[in-house]
Amino acid sequence: MGPVENMLDKNMRILVVDDFSTMRRIVRNLLIDLGIRPKMIQEADDGNNAMAMLRNVRFDLVITDWNMPNMSGIDLLRSIREWDKIKTLPVLMVTAENNREQIIAAAQAGVNGFVVKPFSAATLEQKINRIFERLAVSEASA
Amino acid sequence: MSTPYRLGLDDDLPQALRELLDSTDGPAFERALDAIVHQRERDVFRTLGQLARDLHETLRRFSAEFARDGVAYVAADARQELEAALEMSAQAANRSLDFAERMRPDADALVQHALAELERTADDDPALPLARRALEFGLATRTALADMVLAQSWQDLSGRRIHKAAAFIGNVESALLELVRLTGELVGEEAHGTAPAVSSQADADRLLAEFGF
Repeated sequence: MGPVENMLDKNMRILVVDDFSTMRRIVRNLLIDLGIRPKMIQEADDGNNAMAMLRNVRFDLVITDWNMPNMSGIDLLRSIREWDKIKTLPVLMVTAENNREQIIAAAQAGVNGFVVKPFSAATLEQKINRIFERLAVSEASA
Repeated sequence: MSTPYRLGLDDDLPQALRELLDSTDGPAFERALDAIVHQRERDVFRTLGQLARDLHETLRRFSAEFARDGVAYVAADARQELEAALEMSAQAANRSLDFAERMRPDADALVQHALAELERTADDDPALPLARRALEFGLATRTALADMVLAQSWQDLSGRRIHKAAAFIGNVESALLELVRLTGELVGEEAHGTAPAVSSQADADRLLAEFGF
């Protein structure tokens, strides 16, 4: 693989949020393909459960689906941004629809990345790298 | 005394209505008019009720066709069929993922062993072609397994559409039963208490029976 792979921190702790267990498994597999250690990947089946996990464990990245019962991905994103302790936590939003309104709403809510299903490991890697590149630039300029 | 106002179309009106229009008894006119309007409303709501019943029967026949074709579900309705299809597709996807997760370590190990073998094998060693072939196979298998995992994304995408279709059918059924309840009330048939939430075919049949459909 090229230099892009080397940028990915293999030890980052990632929370995967999706109401479909199949999709959670797929994202987990893709992350393992990218070299992330399996024990660093945790899962939640909706926004409420994700928030409960975020209260107890420090994560480096949240990958969340948009459409979920109880608490949707956009509401999870807003909840994260409203909570001082984790308000800067990077969030990658996953959606089944390439919907302009969704993208705008997510951007306004402070999303860090947006990926449309289905996506490959390479696309996921690109999106994650882009998130951390931008964060590094903004931290350097701060 | 001025000449009473007469509608231009009254020649087409029934005799009773024509006499009513000519009547000077205001309260009698109001009562008769109310009765006519009420009768019209009853006719409209009966028709709506019939339409609702026909639609519901169509949904029930749709379910029965599935059952007759051998798909053995206790309560075979369209919504349950969709949920069952969703569950089956999830099981199939999970079996594929099980397989991929089980084989991935073997493929990785084969690649590692082949690489090690290539490093320590001399150029004229007869085992060299086999080591090269094992490496190619290991890498190809790893790629194929990754593709297979990715292909299961379609279960998620199709599942979401099935969810939407099932929710739509549920909404249609609820709206239909609300329509039946309203038409029942408006034609003077009393509901037994407030309408309960309807979630199954049995509930639907019971509620329809309450209104004589």
